[in-house]
Amino acid sequence: MKRRYTIIVFTENNFGLLNRITIIFSRRRINIESLTVSETERKGVSRFTIVIDYDETKIQKLIQQIRKIIGVLVVFHNEDDQVFFGQIAYFKVITSSFEEREKVMEIAHRHQAKIAFSAGDYVVIEKTGKEEDISTTLHLLEPHGVVEYCKSGRIAIVKDQHRFSKYAKNMDPEGWYSDEEFHELPLNGKH
Amino acid sequence: MSIATENAQKIAVKGNTPKHDKTNKIVSGSEALILSLIEEGVDTIFGYPGGAIMPIYDALYHYRHVLNHTLVRHEQGATHAAEGYAQMAGKPGVCFATSGPGATNLITGIADAMLDSVPIVCITGQVPEKFLGTDAFQETDVMSLAMPITKWCYQVADADEIPYIVAKAFYIARSGRPGPVLIDITKCAQFNQLKKPFKYEKRRQIKGYKPACKPREKDISKAAELLNNAKRPFLFVGHGVLLSKAEKDLLAFIEKTDIPVASTLLGLSAFPTDHPNYVGMLGMHGNYAPNKLTNKADVIISVGMRFDDRVTGNLDTYAKQAKIIHVDIDHAEMGKNVTPTVPLIADAKEALQALLPVVNENKHESWHLEFKKLHDEEYEKVIKKDFQAEGEHIKMAEVIRRLSEKTDGEAVIVADVGQHQMSAARYSKFRRTDSWLTSGGLGTMGYALPSAFGAKMGAPDREVVAVIGDGCFQMTIQELGTIAQSGLPVKIIVLNNNFLGMVRQWQQLFFDNRYSFVELSNPDFITIAKGFGINGQRCTHTDDLDASLDTLLNSKEAYLLEIVVEKETNVFPMVPSGMGVDDIRLE
Repeated sequence: MKRRYTIIVFTENNFGLLNRITIIFSRRRINIESLTVSETERKGVSRFTIVIDYDETKIQKLIQQIRKIIGVLVVFHNEDDQVFFGQIAYFKVITSSFEEREKVMEIAHRHQAKIAFSAGDYVVIEKTGKEEDISTTLHLLEPHGVVEYCKSGRIAIVKDQHRFSKYAKNMDPEGWYSDEEFHELPLNGKH
Repeated sequence: MSIATENAQKIAVKGNTPKHDKTNKIVSGSEALILSLIEEGVDTIFGYPGGAIMPIYDALYHYRHVLNHTLVRHEQGATHAAEGYAQMAGKPGVCFATSGPGATNLITGIADAMLDSVPIVCITGQVPEKFLGTDAFQETDVMSLAMPITKWCYQVADADEIPYIVAKAFYIARSGRPGPVLIDITKCAQFNQLKKPFKYEKRRQIKGYKPACKPREKDISKAAELLNNAKRPFLFVGHGVLLSKAEKDLLAFIEKTDIPVASTLLGLSAFPTDHPNYVGMLGMHGNYAPNKLTNKADVIISVGMRFDDRVTGNLDTYAKQAKIIHVDIDHAEMGKNVTPTVPLIADAKEALQALLPVVNENKHESWHLEFKKLHDEEYEKVIKKDFQAEGEHIKMAEVIRRLSEKTDGEAVIVADVGQHQMSAARYSKFRRTDSWLTSGGLGTMGYALPSAFGAKMGAPDREVVAVIGDGCFQMTIQELGTIAQSGLPVKIIVLNNNFLGMVRQWQQLFFDNRYSFVELSNPDFITIAKGFGINGQRCTHTDDLDASLDTLLNSKEAYLLEIVVEKETNVFPMVPSGMGVDDIRLE
């Protein structure tokens, strides 16, 4: 049974770690739906947010393989209800007349999107939110001629602060799991 | 370097730790690398020079009396030699190679070390930083190539990083589950002077890297409870027992619990083959009883093995009735192939030591009888026939049997890959630990010749015998030159059946005898060996087998014994690919 997972990986900020992580996925023929690399609240620590659709019986094996990479500090996976998440999208819409521009702006306002930039013959609409909100906005703007549309990967915040801080300890300067914590990390077939 | 300094260095070598007086001095990146290796206790290097690593070789020249460098004939040979060395010397093997083709030639051996958890440290030269990405002469993106097949790899472009990175590399290679690491060093980082005076500090920890942990008390007591109540317990010994030097602890554990012991291919020699509790090898060409009874055991304790597909066969029918206690140092192995009842994440030695006081003294006579009954069946249907000499035709198994007798099970057997490997694994007797080297996970043809050489370097006092097929031999045959130049008495047996025997066997059994490109028309191996300066002889008749083996073993120099064996023998028993372990066939 496939489910959607948001995998969050904290790593040292080193060359090649993106490559090391992505080969774990490509080797198993897993399609990455989205991937975002960003800085974190900690100096020298990067955060990878990876979205995949994957078999729930195999996800834990995958996490264990990612955790094994040297330079990876913390990795855990979340289902959609465990994270607050979203994306950002830009739409370049051609507006050849004032009326048309008015209409496009109205659609944007109705959908909590904003005009991020405008030029003589087009506007750029910015929309943040979940995949489906962005799809709706795209759908409504399409009749007006969307000539360019791009969307960021998912970013996600872990809802359960207790769970997050338990993992986050491993990112402290002297941080690694104690023996007890290491044993407690979830194993495949044991949840 | 002056003669006086050379002599001083030679004297230093005679002591236990080679000293250098460069601490707190400004040195070049190359010298910093050499000094770092010395600090790490390295005394042996296998390598091949070239353009991008020349500064390092120049620095090595000044320390040639402290570091014993062997010039191999192909970089693949360096990696396998380093593997053999690492396993016999009990410390990481070191390889040098230049950029481009030098580095790409390392790939097979690195992959081999990765799958078999062998600690090796590979140093590759790289083009100067300004040429990176320009397709410069002998430029290859070694980092991207090495990433999936190393435990860790790193490119150095700043000379000052060298001591720190070497320390990290050695720590990673040998700690926890060992493995290969690669350091790629740009030519400018080799040439440049360090800005800071040279200082070396061994690593003891790395942020976020948890190589090992103590066994957990509740896991130990749960495992003990399962074992104490088991009627048909079964222990699997893997490579991890050898890596953690837990052989004596295993023996004590077995003496107390009386559990039958089976070995994986890489676990061989961790447990004495003549011990009454030893029931043979697991897996595709393992023994009949252990495979059959895997699916009859009520509790399985596996120590330092990873349930490789060659061991388990079809996972859907594998040991479903058993409660499994999986002892492994690597967290990621837990539940990878089989789901353990008790995942015991720990070093094999620590786990066995923790279990010993809490397991009950026990006897399992009726359970042992089941093994014996199946062993007898295998003996009648397979083993007896394997040993029967039929006229002049020599059988592989017969060669191994006699070799084991003549060496008293005390030699180091280095097997290549294929039918001869399975024969060697099945019929070698091991009375001493660390007596078996082979390429298990990757199945690298050409492994044995360079690995045997490395093993001899790592354990000069041991008799080292390479057992090689005619196909494998021709994959790294040039390393005869390395062996000849070193003068080391490596004993080489080539079992020649003029076939790629294992592939031929599969073609016979599963492809209706369509022998697709498996027949070899071989050169005269003895003449070739003589060309390299290595003596040898060919044995074609059973009557000459004893005498020719004696000649090989009594030789004070390297020696090649080519034995012409039956052309079309099959290795049985066999668990056909995709079948369960209890579907094992005897014929």
